[in-house]
Amino acid sequence: MSSNWTPVALSQDVLPGMAIPAHLQDQDLVVWRSATGRIAAWHDRCPHRGMRLSHGFVRGEFLSCIYHGWRYGEDGQCRKIPAHPELAPPAAIKVPRFAVCESAGVVWVAPEGETSEPVDLPGFRGFRSVAVNAAADQVARDVAGQGHLGGCDVVMLVQPLPGGDCGLHVLVADGCADAQLDALSHAIEALRRRLEQGVAA
Amino acid sequence: MSVTMQDHWYPVALASGLRRSARDTLLLGRAIRVALDDGGAPVVTAEGRALPVQVKFGHVWTTLGVPAGDVFDIPEADQPGRRLVEVGSVKVRCSPLRAVENFLDIAHFPFVHTDVLGSEPHTEVERYEVEIRDDVDEVWATKVKFFQPQAARSAQGGITTEYMYRVPGPTCSVLYKTCPPRPGEWDVITLFVQPLTETTCEVWPWMALFDDDSTMTEMIHFQQLIFLQDRSILENQLPALLPLDPGREIPTRADMLSIAYRRWLKRHGYTFGAQLVAA
Ligand code: FES
Ligand SMILES: [Fe+2]
Repeated sequence: MSSNWTPVALSQDVLPGMAIPAHLQDQDLVVWRSATGRIAAWHDRCPHRGMRLSHGFVRGEFLSCIYHGWRYGEDGQCRKIPAHPELAPPAAIKVPRFAVCESAGVVWVAPEGETSEPVDLPGFRGFRSVAVNAAADQVARDVAGQGHLGGCDVVMLVQPLPGGDCGLHVLVADGCADAQLDALSHAIEALRRRLEQGVAA
Repeated sequence: MSVTMQDHWYPVALASGLRRSARDTLLLGRAIRVALDDGGAPVVTAEGRALPVQVKFGHVWTTLGVPAGDVFDIPEADQPGRRLVEVGSVKVRCSPLRAVENFLDIAHFPFVHTDVLGSEPHTEVERYEVEIRDDVDEVWATKVKFFQPQAARSAQGGITTEYMYRVPGPTCSVLYKTCPPRPGEWDVITLFVQPLTETTCEVWPWMALFDDDSTMTEMIHFQQLIFLQDRSILENQLPALLPLDPGREIPTRADMLSIAYRRWLKRHGYTFGAQLVAA
C-alpha cells in the first residue's frame, strides 16, 4: 500500500456506543463510535490524569473517561467535568485526534491533517480481524499477492502492532455464500497458525 | 541529613500472616526476606543484613535506611470498640505513588465505585481544605464532603459523608470518614503501600471501624471489592510513573489534594515511582 492510512479495525467490530483500543505504529489509540454512528480515533489517554480512554464509555455523541467522567465531544474538546458541573471546561483540555475514515468496512487511521484517501477496494468488505504473533513485514511477504482463501476472493491487510506482532484484516468479495464464509473463517484460523509457525502461506 | 524515601517505614507483611517459611519480596527495588525467628518474632533481612522491624496496625514494618522515629501513630485507632480489619494485600502493576494518589481522590467515586461510594448525578466535589502541616510534615485535607449511596457495609441508603485525608509518609495514607452508627466519631481506613519497584506495588489496606453488625469477612470483602475497582484504573494510567512536574496532566479544583501530595513529594525528593521532566 502506498497510502499513509493504516487499517486499525473493522467497522463491524466498533458498534455504535463502543470504544476499543487500537494502535497506529507505537501510538495507543481509542477508536469509538457515537450513538449516531460517527467514528473517531484519538490518543488513548485522558488529559486529566492519564487514564486510557479506551476504558471509557460512550453516551450519545460523547466519549467519557471512566476515571472521573470527563466528557469529550467529537472534536476532542472537553465538554464536561462532573466534579464541577457549573464549570465550562477550558479550551486547553483537548484530546489529540487522528484522521480517520471508513471504506470497504475498514476503519483507517492516519496522522491528523492527512488529505489523501485510503486505498480503494471496491467490491470488498471487512470480514474478520485476527492478531498474529509474528512480525508484520514477514506476514506481509507471506500473504503478498494472495487473493484467494478458503474458496473466497479476499484482500488481506497487514497492520504492524507494538511488541512485534501484527494484525491481519481479511476482506471478502461481496456476494460470497454463507457456507463459503464458514470455510473462510476456518481458513483464516489455519493461516494464522501457519504464519505464527513461520511457515509461508 | 535530609530524610529520603529509604529512611521511611514500609509495610512488608501482615504480622498474623507470617509463617515459618520466609516471604521473599521487594522494597524500593531491593530484595528483602521477611521471616520469623526462633522465638516467633518477625525479622527482615536484605542480603543477609538485618533491617529494623516494628509491628504496628497488624503489619510488619521495615526500612532500608535510618528512620527518624517510629512508625507513625493513628491515635483514633486505639479507641475502644473499634474492629480492626486486616484486609491482606493486593499486588498492583502501578507506581506506589499513583496508588496513594488514587486513594486520596474523591471525584472518581461515581464512576469507578458506581452505586457504592458514589453515583451520578451526585458528582460535584465541593471546595475542601488542604494543608501541609509543617510541624508533623504531613499532608492533610479536611472538610471533604461527598454524597454516597452506600458509604460502608453498615450504611443504609445514601448519605453525605464527610472525610479527612492524611498522608503521614510517602506511600501511606489514612482516611477518616464519618461513621454511620456513631455520629461524632470517625471510621479509620488506611492504605499502606509497599513499593516493590517504581511501577509495581503491594497494597495493604487496613481499617479500624465502628461496625457491630457486619462480619469480619463481609468487611474484608467490601474493601477488597472497592480496591479491585481501583486496580482496574491504576493499571491503565499513562505514564505509569506519577508526573511531579506540571504540564503532563491537567488538574482542577477537586484535585487540590493530589496537587499538594505531588508538591510535597517533590519538595522532599520522594521520587521513587515519580516522573520528573528531564533536566
Ligand atoms: S483521568 Fe480521565 S477524567 Fe480523570
Ligand atoms: Fe477508589
